[in-house]
Amino acid sequence: MRPMRWLPLVLAVALVAGGCGGGDDDDDTSTDDTSTDGTAASGDDDAAEVDPSLCPVDALTDADKPVEIEYWHAMTRANEEELIRLTDEFNASQSDVRVTLSASPSYPENLTRYTAGLSTDELPDLYQGEETNLQLLIDSQSIVPAAACIAAADYDTSGIIERVLTRYTVEGIQYAMPFNVSNPILYYNKTAFTAAGLDPEAPPTTLEEVRETSQAIVDSGVATHGISFKTDAWFTEQWMAKAGEEYVNNGNGRDARATAVAFDNETGLALYTWLSDMEKDGLLVSTGTGDLEHYVAIPNNESAMTIDSSAALGTIFQLFDQGQYANVDLGAAPMPGPASADGGVLVGGASNYVVNRSSDAEQAAAWKFAEFLADEQTQSEWAAATGYIPIREASTTISPLVERWVEQPELKVAYDQLLAGADNLATAGPVLGPAGARGEGMRGAVIDAIAAMFAEGLPPEDALAQATEGSNEAIEDYNDRVG
Amino acid sequence: MSGRRWYRTAGRYATLTVLALMFVFPLYMMVVNSLLPPEQLLKKANFWVSPGDALWGGYSTAWNDGHIGEYLGNSVVVTTLIVAGQVVTAVLAAYAFAFLDFPLKRTLFVVFLTTMMIPFEVVFFVNLDTITDFGDLPLVGDYVGFDTYGGLALPFLATGFGAFLVRQAFLSLPRDLRDAAALDGYGHFRFLTRVAIPLARPSIAALGLFAFFGAWNQYLWPLVASTEDHRTVQVGLGFVSEGSVDQVNVAFAALVLASIPLFVLLIVFQKQLVRGLTAGAVKG
Amino acid sequence: MREALLGYALVLPALLVFGTFIFYPFVRTAWLGLFEQPLFGGDSTWVGLDQYLDEWRSDDFRNSLFVTVKFAVFTVPVGISLGVLLAVVGHQRLRGIGVYRTIFSSTVATSIAVASVLFFTLFNQQLGVLTKLLNREGETPVLDDPRLAFIAVCGVTIWQNLGLSFIVISAGLQAVPDELLEAARVDGAGAFRRFFRVTMPLLSPTLLFAVVVGSILAFQAFAQVDLLTEGGPGDRTNVLTYAIKTTALGNPPDQGAAAAYAMALFAITLLLTVVQLRFLERRVTYER
Repeated sequence: MRPMRWLPLVLAVALVAGGCGGGDDDDDTSTDDTSTDGTAASGDDDAAEVDPSLCPVDALTDADKPVEIEYWHAMTRANEEELIRLTDEFNASQSDVRVTLSASPSYPENLTRYTAGLSTDELPDLYQGEETNLQLLIDSQSIVPAAACIAAADYDTSGIIERVLTRYTVEGIQYAMPFNVSNPILYYNKTAFTAAGLDPEAPPTTLEEVRETSQAIVDSGVATHGISFKTDAWFTEQWMAKAGEEYVNNGNGRDARATAVAFDNETGLALYTWLSDMEKDGLLVSTGTGDLEHYVAIPNNESAMTIDSSAALGTIFQLFDQGQYANVDLGAAPMPGPASADGGVLVGGASNYVVNRSSDAEQAAAWKFAEFLADEQTQSEWAAATGYIPIREASTTISPLVERWVEQPELKVAYDQLLAGADNLATAGPVLGPAGARGEGMRGAVIDAIAAMFAEGLPPEDALAQATEGSNEAIEDYNDRVG
Repeated sequence: MSGRRWYRTAGRYATLTVLALMFVFPLYMMVVNSLLPPEQLLKKANFWVSPGDALWGGYSTAWNDGHIGEYLGNSVVVTTLIVAGQVVTAVLAAYAFAFLDFPLKRTLFVVFLTTMMIPFEVVFFVNLDTITDFGDLPLVGDYVGFDTYGGLALPFLATGFGAFLVRQAFLSLPRDLRDAAALDGYGHFRFLTRVAIPLARPSIAALGLFAFFGAWNQYLWPLVASTEDHRTVQVGLGFVSEGSVDQVNVAFAALVLASIPLFVLLIVFQKQLVRGLTAGAVKG
Repeated sequence: MREALLGYALVLPALLVFGTFIFYPFVRTAWLGLFEQPLFGGDSTWVGLDQYLDEWRSDDFRNSLFVTVKFAVFTVPVGISLGVLLAVVGHQRLRGIGVYRTIFSSTVATSIAVASVLFFTLFNQQLGVLTKLLNREGETPVLDDPRLAFIAVCGVTIWQNLGLSFIVISAGLQAVPDELLEAARVDGAGAFRRFFRVTMPLLSPTLLFAVVVGSILAFQAFAQVDLLTEGGPGDRTNVLTYAIKTTALGNPPDQGAAAAYAMALFAITLLLTVVQLRFLERRVTYER
């Protein structure tokens, strides 16, 4: 039982007795893990060694069945429904493991719940962490690297798309099991395109073309602006990756811990300038930080295009099937942006982490569930229902996905886009402790800078400088504290 | 009536009406939009919904899928606990301060008053740890820990203000009354229940209402100390409206539902309400 | 002797609550500020007053403090002035004035959460009526605009408080004897003079009470920030209470830093509360 935190006196004594503790766990159940927190030598992917015994996959055979585990996730609406269905299927199909789901309304809230749980030991057995949580979870020393489980269970990862695995590999070690992959796509109103004299099957692919298309739309009066943008930070991350450039230093944080951002260069400036000019010229409407307004702008005739995650496809199509949005024939296309042979969109979405504070049997059970969520059939069903990208190529050739893609070809766009990208450090994406979200960390700084640019007309150079400064400050603070 | 007078009165009514309309406009929109079919919202010409188009379904969606019915129930339970706690502890303590004598009485009363100097926002996160720890207690842990009704109510079961208010009421009772009661052989309990409380009823009722409003409208503590299992209606409103751009009528219906209890109270208990809310502000 | 025991027994329940949920956490919060909390659980490090001083000197804290004071300075006087306006206007002896008085008190039936969610939608860029009325279609949403978000939060607060202000100030107006106003009118004083020379002085105790209580409540504002702006575009609405919450329960949580913010909040409200208690005491001595 955890000691009651009642008496400051007890605390004082404990402190004096325990000395400075910059990261010791006062928890006895985690026997593993301090050796693989990313301190392995830098270098190519296969160089790092990870100890398979960190993942006790065999513990399941001797345990009392069923082993009950808890999965904390952040799926909502249509995606949550499908996850519930799959989990029920898993629970019904075997009697070794029983999974209970616990939902948070968003990734940041899921993370808050997790980090709060680090001190109170209220943690799940399997955790769905957004792509940006990677470094933070590694630093928390509370997860079992997926590589250990893969080795221990002799799991075959060859069927999984390489880029997806690279995404979750730091200093040669893969830490998470992929689950729901997405990347940003262009959503556009085919009806509006036709009415404006544009070819509805030829949406823009570069930023230049977006501008031209927007101009045509505005000129024709079909909508008041060409494209609607949510104020968010990941656009620039994606565009830098498409240009084949790293977002933060030290190999995008994958060769060694990142100490500063790398987007304050010509490419970054060009991106901010493009955004600023588009908005000033009335071709772009900024819809703020809300989650759905940039979509709603389309049937509202305020814009004809928007860019957002393919993860929303399921929900968005559900939304647009309702009566009030009848004037919209929605199309999906690859995300427009810089095009480089070394570039590609980032692997977005989230992945599953086995938590090392659980008992051995629970860890083994959590791994089993993670395997299920990543297997061929599950991924086919999951992708078909949600619009997420399947992590295995084989899933695209079997039911139900194969039929779904025929029915709704838009769902294939993100997948093709993923495969088309190069596999390198730039496209693997930045790894950063304080990656942040609105109001905090690097993304918070970027969001504030872009918001100032749109709302107050801050010049792009100044906005870029502000974003750089704010991000670097957050990075320094984090690196100081993590010791 | 002279012509000038007529102008004056009309002018006064005009001012009143303009002010009233501006004031009540948001509430008006709240009610109207709760009945609006979502299609009409896109046109933004949504100041009026014709009875034919009115969609009452938003209310049942808010109640069920939006869990507002559940949340209201939770609010009722937590609020009742808090009001009961505050009134009882206040009456007991006030009795002691007003009619009894004991060492350190004045000091203790000052202690009561000093609680009003420490805002809840300053101590809430430690209280969160405390309540979470309470969850580990044997026997009662399930009822007073994190995400329980007890946990939601415990920190608010007593207020210094309550004791102050009731003590004042008790002190204003004439001394002869006490002496007469003593002569008649009234013990403390009888005196309290047969004489003091009935005579101090206006103040106690005022405290009850004051406590009710405070508890019903709480936001920070229910936000951090509970999950969806015991969510109160104030916190629930935020969740219902999140990402509900396509179902604004449901979100507004939830707002209306959440406000109905207070509206009812406002009308039924107007007098006591005014007294409670102005307690300490004005004489008498 | 038995009386003493009874006395203690009667105050005990309240004292237990106070001890557990007010005094103990207060001391502990102050204590927590002396330790730097590690990022991911584990033991804290003693840093003495350094953390307090570092936090209070930091830009983030200064911004929060500034925003909070700005918020109080803006919402309290404006709110009370509007309350006086409504109370005076609603105090006239006209037929049907009761209806208007009920309307003016109606926001008492809403909570700050209701008001916030309501205005959150009314300000919505795509669907909100206010966007249209304020002619901001196609512009950055009000709540995401660094220049306007703060004003919007103040506006919502003022609106929601008006019902209560109206009730309190109206009650205060009752204390202004009609005979005095009549006498002034007979003496030839116009409406403005009557208001400022007769009404205001007699109303001033009520107004003072409203200002003090209003200020204390303003410093405790939380729900509207959480629901409308989450600290605001670029921290423009990041009041102390909100900063405390996001620091204490953030990603990752930092109770040490939060304690520094919390103690600052305490210091400010202490000042205001002392004034309030003095005021209440004076009232009490008058009545005795």
